[in-house]
Amino acid sequence: MSYAELAVTTNFSFLHGASHPGDFVERAAELGYPAIGIADRNTLAGVVRAYEAWKKLPQPPRLLIGARLVFRDGTPDILAYPKDRKAYARLSRLISVGKLRAEKGECLLDFADLLEYRRGLLLIVMPPVDHAMVKPALAQLRVDAWLAASMLYTGEDRRRLRDLKKLARETSTPLIAINDALYHDPGERDLQDVVTCIREHLVLEQAGTRLQANAERHLKPPEEMTRLFHDAPQAVEETIRFATRISFTLDQLSQRYPREPVPRGKTPDGHLRDLTEQGLKWRYPDGVPPNVTALAEKELIFIAEGKIAHYFLTVHDIVKFARGQGILCQGRGSAANSVVCYALGVTSVDPTEIDVLFERFLNPQRREPPDIDVDFEHERREEVIQYIYQRYGHRRAALTATVIHYRPRSAIREVGKVFGLTEDITGKLADTVWGHHGDELEEYQVRQGEQDPHNHAVKRAVNFANRLMGFPRHLSQHVGGFVLTRDKLDWTVPIGPAAMDDRYFIEWDKDDLDTLEIMKVDVLALGMLTCIRKAFDLIHAHAQGGCEPKLLLATVPQNDKDTYDMLCKADAIGVFQVESRAQMSMLPRLRPRTPYDLTIEVAIVRPGPIQGNMVRPYLKRRAISLKDPNATFPFPCPSPEHGPANELHGILGKTLGVPLFQEQAMRLAIVAAKFSADEANGLRRAMATFRHVGTMHTFEKKFVEGMIGRGYDPAFAQDCFNQIKGFGSYGFPESHAASFALLVYVSAWIKCHHPAAFAAALLNSQPMGFYAPAEIVRCARDHGVMVLAPDAAFSHWDCTLERDHKDALCLRLGLRQIDGFREEDAQTITNNRCDGYCGFADFVRRTSLSKRALVTLAEADAFRGFGLDRREGLWAVRRLPDDNPLPLFAPRAAPEMGIEKIAPLPAMPLSEHVLADYQTMRLSLKAYPTQFLRPGFDAEGITSCKGVGALKDGASVRCAGVVLVRQRPGEGTAIFITLSDETGVCNVVVWARTFEQFRKEVMGARLLLAEGKVQKSPEGVVHLMAERLIDRSADLRLLAGAELPVPKPVHRHPRDVRILPPSRDFH
Amino acid sequence: MRQHRRILALWFARLPTDRLLRKARQPDSSAAPLVISHKANNALYVYALEARAQKLGLYKGQPLANARAMVQPLQIMPADEGADAALLEAIADWCDRFTPLVSLDAPDGLLLDITGAAHLFRGETALLKMVTGKIAKQGFAVQGAIAGTSLAARALARFAPGTIAAPGDEAVTVAPLPITALTPDDKILRALRHAGLKTVGMVAARLHSELSERLGKVFVNRLRVMLGAEEQPLEPRRPLPDLMAEQRFAEPVVTEEIISASLLSLAETLSEILERQGRGARMLEAGFFRADGKVARIAIKTGEPLRDPKVMLRLLCQKLDALADPLDPGFGFDLIRLEALLAEETKPGTVSFDSNENASRQVRFLIDRLAARFGEHRVQRFVAQDTHIPEAAGVTVPAQERDFDGAWILKRRGDDPPRRPLRLLERPEEIKAGLPLAPDGPPKYFLWRQCRHDVTRAEGPERIAMEWWRKEGHTRDYFRVETKEGQRFWLYRDGLFHQIGAPRWYLQGIFA
Repeated sequence: MSYAELAVTTNFSFLHGASHPGDFVERAAELGYPAIGIADRNTLAGVVRAYEAWKKLPQPPRLLIGARLVFRDGTPDILAYPKDRKAYARLSRLISVGKLRAEKGECLLDFADLLEYRRGLLLIVMPPVDHAMVKPALAQLRVDAWLAASMLYTGEDRRRLRDLKKLARETSTPLIAINDALYHDPGERDLQDVVTCIREHLVLEQAGTRLQANAERHLKPPEEMTRLFHDAPQAVEETIRFATRISFTLDQLSQRYPREPVPRGKTPDGHLRDLTEQGLKWRYPDGVPPNVTALAEKELIFIAEGKIAHYFLTVHDIVKFARGQGILCQGRGSAANSVVCYALGVTSVDPTEIDVLFERFLNPQRREPPDIDVDFEHERREEVIQYIYQRYGHRRAALTATVIHYRPRSAIREVGKVFGLTEDITGKLADTVWGHHGDELEEYQVRQGEQDPHNHAVKRAVNFANRLMGFPRHLSQHVGGFVLTRDKLDWTVPIGPAAMDDRYFIEWDKDDLDTLEIMKVDVLALGMLTCIRKAFDLIHAHAQGGCEPKLLLATVPQNDKDTYDMLCKADAIGVFQVESRAQMSMLPRLRPRTPYDLTIEVAIVRPGPIQGNMVRPYLKRRAISLKDPNATFPFPCPSPEHGPANELHGILGKTLGVPLFQEQAMRLAIVAAKFSADEANGLRRAMATFRHVGTMHTFEKKFVEGMIGRGYDPAFAQDCFNQIKGFGSYGFPESHAASFALLVYVSAWIKCHHPAAFAAALLNSQPMGFYAPAEIVRCARDHGVMVLAPDAAFSHWDCTLERDHKDALCLRLGLRQIDGFREEDAQTITNNRCDGYCGFADFVRRTSLSKRALVTLAEADAFRGFGLDRREGLWAVRRLPDDNPLPLFAPRAAPEMGIEKIAPLPAMPLSEHVLADYQTMRLSLKAYPTQFLRPGFDAEGITSCKGVGALKDGASVRCAGVVLVRQRPGEGTAIFITLSDETGVCNVVVWARTFEQFRKEVMGARLLLAEGKVQKSPEGVVHLMAERLIDRSADLRLLAGAELPVPKPVHRHPRDVRILPPSRDFH
Repeated sequence: MRQHRRILALWFARLPTDRLLRKARQPDSSAAPLVISHKANNALYVYALEARAQKLGLYKGQPLANARAMVQPLQIMPADEGADAALLEAIADWCDRFTPLVSLDAPDGLLLDITGAAHLFRGETALLKMVTGKIAKQGFAVQGAIAGTSLAARALARFAPGTIAAPGDEAVTVAPLPITALTPDDKILRALRHAGLKTVGMVAARLHSELSERLGKVFVNRLRVMLGAEEQPLEPRRPLPDLMAEQRFAEPVVTEEIISASLLSLAETLSEILERQGRGARMLEAGFFRADGKVARIAIKTGEPLRDPKVMLRLLCQKLDALADPLDPGFGFDLIRLEALLAEETKPGTVSFDSNENASRQVRFLIDRLAARFGEHRVQRFVAQDTHIPEAAGVTVPAQERDFDGAWILKRRGDDPPRRPLRLLERPEEIKAGLPLAPDGPPKYFLWRQCRHDVTRAEGPERIAMEWWRKEGHTRDYFRVETKEGQRFWLYRDGLFHQIGAPRWYLQGIFA
């Protein structure tokens, strides 16, 4: 009695199946199946997940990889299983053909396609209700074809089986038993129904017969299958015979890396060595230090042993191209901080300065591809991508996929629809979810959404939403992970078109590639690089006293005292990575002075160190060592009989004995908990996939007990493991932190020494960073930069620098700050400007802008340069004729309108101007909105933000301000809110418990009143510890002196949040 | 001297809620505040609200979700613009008593041209008071004002109720009103607001050329009308189409012959009217007005638009015959009226040569006749439902209702035997069944209504699980069985053996 299920539809058949691939594999093992086949609808997207689960099983069944081919020409569905690697390539190609023919996400196949690629494929034809229809297909397939029979309790199973047997005999096709499983367990039938409704856009009540009649489509025990098929026992046996015909497994896939052009007569290793040597000479013009030469030698040997020279050459090639185009780039990742990469120009981090040892993380047992991510300027990354396509061709280079999963918000929305809940209700539930994270909708969230969690309908919807969470929804393209192969890529994995023209992506995501050990190059976009490059350009263009060479990442003056001083004061708005609330409160405590300090700063405010309770101990030691550089600290150590007391000195030396980085935690597992290399590898994998597979607890026991057994402090052991768990949810290795630290320094240096250029570059690179333009502008003004409003008479699209009459550099805001104004129009203004426009009429005539554009400018008060304020400007624009007169009759130049003598319009109050500025530009140079509310606030006893800083520690305080940023770092127990008013900013901390009570206010308010106590740290960091929060957004209406609709809060990135609603004119 | 035109404007601020609240007669202050919702752009908005809701801070145009969040509980009713319009018409009818020139200012206002009529009601002040007072007594929130032009009057009615602008004083009277009184055009309002012009007076003070270049000639004309500088005639209401025929008798009629003869002639008249309008009646009402003031009414419904007078008469007579209480003419009827209460457009009356269609038309006539005789709820037909649950797969609806339809899903293929029995028992009946051979097999025999049936042949099971989202229920295994006597039944086992210990058996249907 043995049976193998061959028709399995997993949830990677997007909204067709109701179980994860892994669930099927595990259940198959439990049932003692000798084999199980995964066959999703026209896709191989789920097979790696099945393979991953399969690898973990102690006694796994054989895993057969296939696909269920669904045709558009009326051919019945056919399950296709490749016999061997070559047949697999054909199946992959076949699916690619279907995908390339279709719109994004679909796959259109004809029977003829199958015939073309069928060699080596074992095919199971699935008879439809009218089973006679399979005859023509069977007649054409003849060999290696089976006829599927199922016993699914349709009422006529036996009669149908009899007919199928007859049909099988007539066509001499063997009959094969299947159960056409949609879920692994009958208990998932309800979820299957819900999923079907989502797919078909149905409400459950109306789905009727479009749902399955019963719960039989699950994996059944072999005995049960044998019993069901007692009329045709050979059909059950056939499944085993079928499985034995297949020799293909996923580990037969191995990447053949593209051969880089290597000069004649050179080996790749030799060529890499040449390039490294040249590079070192360029990096160290005064002679290469001997230790660097030695390191390079070691690395080159390692690369040669790993046969990965090609990979480095590819990365070098891409980076070289970017450099040639003047595109800033910076590599990061385990291999990026090597001497070789420094020499090749992949990174600008001097490896001698931050000695992140390369081989340590590239250990030979791991047999893993090296990991190098390269960040490029986000506005110019496309050029790099096009270069890659041009160099490798579309069939050898494609993007990685990203599997879009159901998240709380999407899950509750879609499930709510199925249960017929109104969008009101599901929308409210969805709105209480923080950011994109969160794995479950909690009861309190339901309550916050003002729904009774015990209301049956709501409870059921939430319950199903929680079950649906984590289901794949569709495939999307990864931002920039490129898979390159020497052979055609679609012999390994199906590829399909992406949303962008001429862009293709494969069916597997990053984790899948890791599982299969396939190398990829991440070509990522980083806004800060764009910003830095723009700042460099501006500095170069406005430099006084000769033309210095343009700055580069590597040529920014190092160890600048002023820059570090500025960072120590937490003056970091706009600075890369350290501008968040939590980072800013860390800066004065950490007091960074060296690049390595910045590396720690970047890495410390992350879930790992926070959950591992490592932040406080490190800060304490840091404070002591700042006072006394020679202070020594006790390191955690085993009891003497288990090892030397200094066994961790090598690992934790640089971080004062406190583990902070992912790499350190992994080393701890080996050195302190005595993990074998294999075990450590397993731990690393479990960590990477922590979110979907719960295998961490087995490692936890081994890790914690291993350390305690060797005499380590139990609390320390547990903290170390908690830290590992934290890395699991958000890994941030030292090698990445080191690369980022350089950008932190460079951006801080520009901010410190060229604040105007920095602000202009930041604004011109939007959207990026945490802060809205209003804050960037305010910060620039605080740094003494004169900021000028966008003006049709002077501004360009981008923000620019100009010199005022005192020859000081001023920041002139660009027309890009005006919402809804188009870049082409700005270009027209610049192109026609010449020596300037003489007045409004001249401007209108010479630019011939559309009326819409003129109105937008007038609303933004951008005609002051022509002597018209907002009101006058709008009134003047309205006088112009509407757009699009019949072109035939439009005279070449619009007729001059008569000069008009009109009475002056009533003056616009300042508050309304500020309001309108915020509506059109989200910032105002005229005043801050809270200024107009101040008299009322004073009367209520509300302290200004600046006032809070002057209070004593522990004082009770009420402070109101515009909400700039809300953040919840990591699994944070605290929520950071930055309030701002005309006097400055105030940092509010809300503990999780208080937050749950005031979730609606925290998530929704744009003007927030916080009541609580002042907390002042010795370093002078002031926080308002909130006890009560009140939404005062309605007060903003007072500015208009009239009713102003306050729209419902929409969850957006903080920099996009509107303090005031947008203007509705002409939009 | 030219006589100044005088317009009385009325504004019903809460027509939709008043309409519903009036129905309740007794205002119930403990009930939740009433809000009328309206769907636009896939979201619900507050369309109208009663005074109490407004006091609680809700406002027109507010997203309903926000209103709900602010006030709990709320009584929410969907908007019914048709009913509101009909109500406004009815009020307009009532206003006919003051002046023949009543014009609709849809959706919630009326304009009465009272030129030269005010003196009949002791002057304009008294008239305005009387009109608003009487309407208010009916349960409507109403505001009124009088001015020389309709625009000025309606603006005053909304923003300064009770004002009577003396002839020629319009410009002064409307000057303090906000600009929203000027026009409903959002674009113009925004333009004015942006220019800082907040009242009608501020706008009026600008040059007309300046305004017309920016806001258009139409607006400037409107402004002139508003200021009383120009007139705009009222648009009288369109009369309602008349779908009624009546016959008065000098001498009250008593005999049945005369009654049916006059019914037929009324039906012919009505038929002509319907013919002219290309419509047919779906609901007819005959009113018999007795000389002593009593009125008897009988109504009939039809399945399809009807215009044939003979059929009308036949249906009416059948209904009359079926009356439990025969029509009592007493001293005789002095008026008989036939009205089409509901009429629909008909397709041109071509006779189809398709015999099927004629046959189905015959069936519909039969249904109409049976319904007229026995009551519309007594004549039913089946409508298919999309569900796996056998007893829910067909529901009955009145046969005359045409709004329901569903396609029967063909469960049968080619020459397969039928999968559902012809007759389904009203309720499945429990049977005592002998043990089956297999856990999912049919019983060898069973007892139903005290008779033993031995199963000789069976097919199944067809497994049907209950709809889990409705209520819990066991999964059923259905069998088609044939007994030794040759009878065929449809049985099911309620529950699976491995799920519940001893599942019961039921008989649900009988194959022909």
